Amino acid sequence: MSLGHAPALATLARGLATTATTLACLLLVTFALSSLSPIDPALRALGDHASASAYTEMRHRLGLDAPWPERFARYAGRLLRGDLGVAESTGQPVAEDLRHVFPATLELATLAMLLSAVAGIALGLLCAWRPRGLLDGVVRIVSLLGSSLPAFWLGLVALYFFYARLHWTGGPGRLDDAYQYTIDLDSGFVLLDSWRSGAPGAFANAWAHLALPVLVLAAYAIGQITRMTRAALLGEAGKEYVTLARAKGALPARIIVHHLLPNTRGLIITVLALTYASLLEGAVLVETVFAWPGIGRYLTTALFAADTAAILGATLVIGCSFVVINGLTDALVRALDPRLR
Amino acid sequence: MPQCLPLPWLGLLLGASLAVVPARSASPPGVLVIVQALDDLVSLDPAEGFELSSVQTFTNVYQRLVQPDPDHPAVLQPGLASHWQADPGGRSLTFELAAGACFASGNPLRPEDVIFSLSRAVKLNRAPVFILNELGWNAGNVDRALTKVDAQHVRLTWDAPVGPALALNILTAPVASIIDAREVLEHAAGDDVGNAWLRSHSAGSGPFKIRRYIAHEALVLDANPTAPGGAPRLQTIVIKNVADAATRRLLVAVGDADIARDLGPDQIAALGGDSQVETLVFPSAMIDYLMFNTANTDNAALRNPALWEAARWLVDYDGIAKQLLRGEYLVHQAFLAAGFPGGLLTTPYHFDVAKARSILAAAGIQPGLHITLDVINQPPYGDIAQSLQASFAQAGIQLDIVPELAGELYSKIRARSEQAVWVYWVPDYFDANSTASAFALNREDGAKTLAWRAGWRIPALSAATAAAATETDPAARMEDYLAIQREVQEKSPFVIAFQARNEVVVRRSVHGYREGLDADMVYYDRISK
Repeated sequence: MSLGHAPALATLARGLATTATTLACLLLVTFALSSLSPIDPALRALGDHASASAYTEMRHRLGLDAPWPERFARYAGRLLRGDLGVAESTGQPVAEDLRHVFPATLELATLAMLLSAVAGIALGLLCAWRPRGLLDGVVRIVSLLGSSLPAFWLGLVALYFFYARLHWTGGPGRLDDAYQYTIDLDSGFVLLDSWRSGAPGAFANAWAHLALPVLVLAAYAIGQITRMTRAALLGEAGKEYVTLARAKGALPARIIVHHLLPNTRGLIITVLALTYASLLEGAVLVETVFAWPGIGRYLTTALFAADTAAILGATLVIGCSFVVINGLTDALVRALDPRLR
Repeated sequence: MPQCLPLPWLGLLLGASLAVVPARSASPPGVLVIVQALDDLVSLDPAEGFELSSVQTFTNVYQRLVQPDPDHPAVLQPGLASHWQADPGGRSLTFELAAGACFASGNPLRPEDVIFSLSRAVKLNRAPVFILNELGWNAGNVDRALTKVDAQHVRLTWDAPVGPALALNILTAPVASIIDAREVLEHAAGDDVGNAWLRSHSAGSGPFKIRRYIAHEALVLDANPTAPGGAPRLQTIVIKNVADAATRRLLVAVGDADIARDLGPDQIAALGGDSQVETLVFPSAMIDYLMFNTANTDNAALRNPALWEAARWLVDYDGIAKQLLRGEYLVHQAFLAAGFPGGLLTTPYHFDVAKARSILAAAGIQPGLHITLDVINQPPYGDIAQSLQASFAQAGIQLDIVPELAGELYSKIRARSEQAVWVYWVPDYFDANSTASAFALNREDGAKTLAWRAGWRIPALSAATAAAATETDPAARMEDYLAIQREVQEKSPFVIAFQARNEVVVRRSVHGYREGLDADMVYYDRISK
């Protein structure tokens, strides 16, 4: 029995070792790049008018009087004990900040991902159904626009029409002010917390605030997924076994469901996973326009403030997300595709 | 395959998502919603916070012993002290604490609270401590400088050459806020004297107290009904971090925000036709200036006073103030802003290329001179730099613009590695000395004042600036500062050009919003809606 588990344990150990090495390298590179920043973190923290003694003390407090490899070793030591340090840009522990900002992004990105997966695959299927037809043309143009329009601009235009003019959606932020600071966002997920609060209207209000940022974020992802799904299906549709199935009189729906999708699902799942990972770390512009307190904006603010602890903490979370998403994707694709086992 | 295609999926999904819409809401009654950028806020501990958002909060959450009258800031009014008396030697002040004053917690004000607050700020040694250091206080001597006289009186002494008038003005700075020692010590962790807790909580006696602070998201203030100055008119103030100016504009236009700060000229112009909002304009003590770094050895021309003199005639003052920035700035050419006690109001320079050319020619500075100009990569500095580039080019001076992050720029200035910069200055407390000791004091004793950073050697002017700090006759003191400003205006490597104005957009239902000249002078207590 133990012999039977040995290969699985070895694979798991290799996977964990790879993950740990990847994250350690990610942190090391990020730390080294942070120390090359032309911004003096002590000066940034204290301001230009600070006294020489306060400046010296701040440099000491931030550990800037030691060479960066030594500082990294100290940081790594604290990290192993579960201490991510204090963010100089917010004055709060990094772990506390991340507990607040990461769920906000995760919620936004997950909903955008679900929407874009359903819409993107459906549109990709429709396009592949009759390639170069009218619908294919329209969908390709719309998906191209979705991928090309700057999220910043699209967000502002969407806010202007749907929030300011038509009053169809909630405005910037996660909830109206009537709820925002009375409901405790314990979990960090506004849908869950507003539902649990029991406050009348809070749950619907959370949806109303989510609608626009989710749609704007999904617009880019839908374009990507549509194009990739269409290309994968069309590439597969030209193969001989599909021609044979058609010759045998198989219905188009049967060809898609039983032949094309099973043979392209590995690629589509990989595209979905990559898109999800990019949504998790790349929503900074959408978060800025919609005043969404997510990890993208947190990381950007930390970068401008040369706040190394916050930069490393956010990088670690995003890096872990990538590793987890990639790992799950690999496992899923391997489970679905016998050729990879 | 079917010939009829299904419904357009995207439209369906869009419609479905938007169908969950509730009726829109304006800001709740009794609650004032302010939208602004809060990303600068690091700490709400008055001994530590020194950002714009922090100091504006301190004014409304804490009180000092003495404070500027909001309507006449040059006049000091009682804060937590009802009376004060300077000793004949001019090196100590005795304060009588306001009878019956208490903190928002209900704890009564004691001399121990005053001593704890000031001593704690000095010993923590964070960003704003240099203001208290001007009294000569440091971690080693501050405990001896603060004495409890009796249950209602406390005496502050100092050794530094500072007169009582200046000392009082220093004590109006946010770092001198009085905190509730008992409340803070209950939340102390280790030896932090409550610093971690105070970063997001309050322990003051001001008209408001902090209900909740969510870092870089929102600050919620509740009324403090027992405030010694009287309860505020509003129950709750919500200050929300909305980083994008266009989004702030939408929020105030729709009515979900009552006040929007930091809107640019374009945003304000776009709101011009909206009858539901109005733009309030408040002069600010912030000044913008060009500084030549004469300590930079890469460019000998930087040390030539003729270049400084010519530069004063090469700024298109009116063009920048009226056309480029459309009301955000006023032309102002002295380091003390108009409205500040002792401010010099003369504007002897205007854009005159011919005059600048003749000054440069007489000094032997040939056309083709290159100077790098560092500016912050945020509006409006890029626009101003381009205007300078165009106007200086007319006199044969090529400005090579280097836009960069503020942190990067200040690192360069501190290292004296730049050639020229266009930056701004904001006084740290409401006294002429705050700015004069930056622009006109270079004793080359290790203090890195602006004059030192510019490499401007001025022993006589430095002595005059130091003497003005100890002058006890108010009128003579103001005369001293006028003379110092004239010298800086005419002879320094600083080309002071503009005074900023804060433009704040408010809904017409909001009344009583006030701002003063200094950065911390934002008052919420008389606002109603």
